[in-house]
Amino acid sequence: MNSDNSVVKGKHEADFSTTAKLLLELKDTSELMVDLAYSALLYDNEDIADEIVSMEEIADDLEKELQISAMNDMREHADPKKSFVIIRLADAMEKIADAAVSIADVVLRDIERNPVVSLSLQDSKVTIASVSVAMGSTLAGKSLGEVKLASQSGMWVIAIKRDRRYIYGPDENTILNKGDLLIARGPKEGEVVLRKMAAS
Amino acid sequence: MPDSRAEGGGHLKTKIKDRTRMRNRSKEHEEVEYESRSVRELLTEMKDISEIIVDLAYSALILDAKEIGEEVRELETRMDKLNYQIRLTALVASRSMRDAESLTGILQVASAAEKISNAAGDIVDLLDENIDTRPFLPFVLQDADEKFNVIRVDPESELAGRTIVDSRIGTRTGATVIAVNRRSGWIFDLHKSFRVRGNDLLIVRGTQHGHEKLLRFAKGKSPRERGTKSEVRR
Repeated sequence: MNSDNSVVKGKHEADFSTTAKLLLELKDTSELMVDLAYSALLYDNEDIADEIVSMEEIADDLEKELQISAMNDMREHADPKKSFVIIRLADAMEKIADAAVSIADVVLRDIERNPVVSLSLQDSKVTIASVSVAMGSTLAGKSLGEVKLASQSGMWVIAIKRDRRYIYGPDENTILNKGDLLIARGPKEGEVVLRKMAAS
Repeated sequence: MPDSRAEGGGHLKTKIKDRTRMRNRSKEHEEVEYESRSVRELLTEMKDISEIIVDLAYSALILDAKEIGEEVRELETRMDKLNYQIRLTALVASRSMRDAESLTGILQVASAAEKISNAAGDIVDLLDENIDTRPFLPFVLQDADEKFNVIRVDPESELAGRTIVDSRIGTRTGATVIAVNRRSGWIFDLHKSFRVRGNDLLIVRGTQHGHEKLLRFAKGKSPRERGTKSEVRR
């Protein structure tokens, strides 16, 4: 989401570029899945829950690719321990993704919703908010990176509902439109700030 | 409920203790209120832990901090207990098929939160591997949209002496403080009244832009401001 993510690129990265890229992608995917899972639960939203299920397939593929890539590194660098550590880390990330799916599963199963679920989620330290972008809002027509939403409000946008479609895990280049519904997580006080920014 | 067999024999002692405590407690409170409040509180705590524990686990790897790893272990144990308590409480609360059905959903979420904490435990297990096998991890993990950073609080800065809530770090920078290191040791339980002190090291998660903003708040005042201050100080 932020445009400047080049600060800690190290010398080690070159050695592990493919593996590193995959590992990062799996980490981001698994975290986004958990964020989405809790919001699917809060809003009893089956669209989001469905997306988590399909993201799980992506996470599975990523893990497989990552394992192969780590084994390739091993052949090249004759360093089995390094690859072993990567494979175990990937396995932990995959477990996190699985947990997200089992939360989504609660939304997808046709059981009566217990009101306690949303009450507990609302009590949480990390709040989830859905806020729509008003016509005259400073956000409309700008990218997430331009408005620096995360560092200006504390809220991290995890999904955008535009008309009937969703954009999951938007990045700094994603342009916000008026009428967009932003689903974001962050500190409780952040919700108020985000609402102000999204209002006209 | 897919995960009902997760309690190992090792927890038997805790189990018995908890059970007695539960029984005593439910006598004290009016039943319905106690049950719903309690499941709600337990679930909130489990959700909160499931979020902070992953951040802590990654930062333990990035900073090679055994102490953070230990905190992850403790939270993992706490999560086991909570998962057990929430099951008990839910079972007690359930009076009909309808109750049972809607409570299963809650228990499934609870056990998912526990799975996340187990995964965080697996991540910090990697701290036991020789550091030579993982020097690349910080570089890899730090390339994400949200990074972990360590920030030292200048005693002259506006953060020193204020609570995290008062200084509005969250809304002004988007950064989340996940742990604090001060000379006396690590602090992980950052409740609302927690006051940041000068020379504290804050372990934060946030965007690069947020990090830069936070750095400014954590720095001492500019020479001009400091001048004004020393004038005031008689």
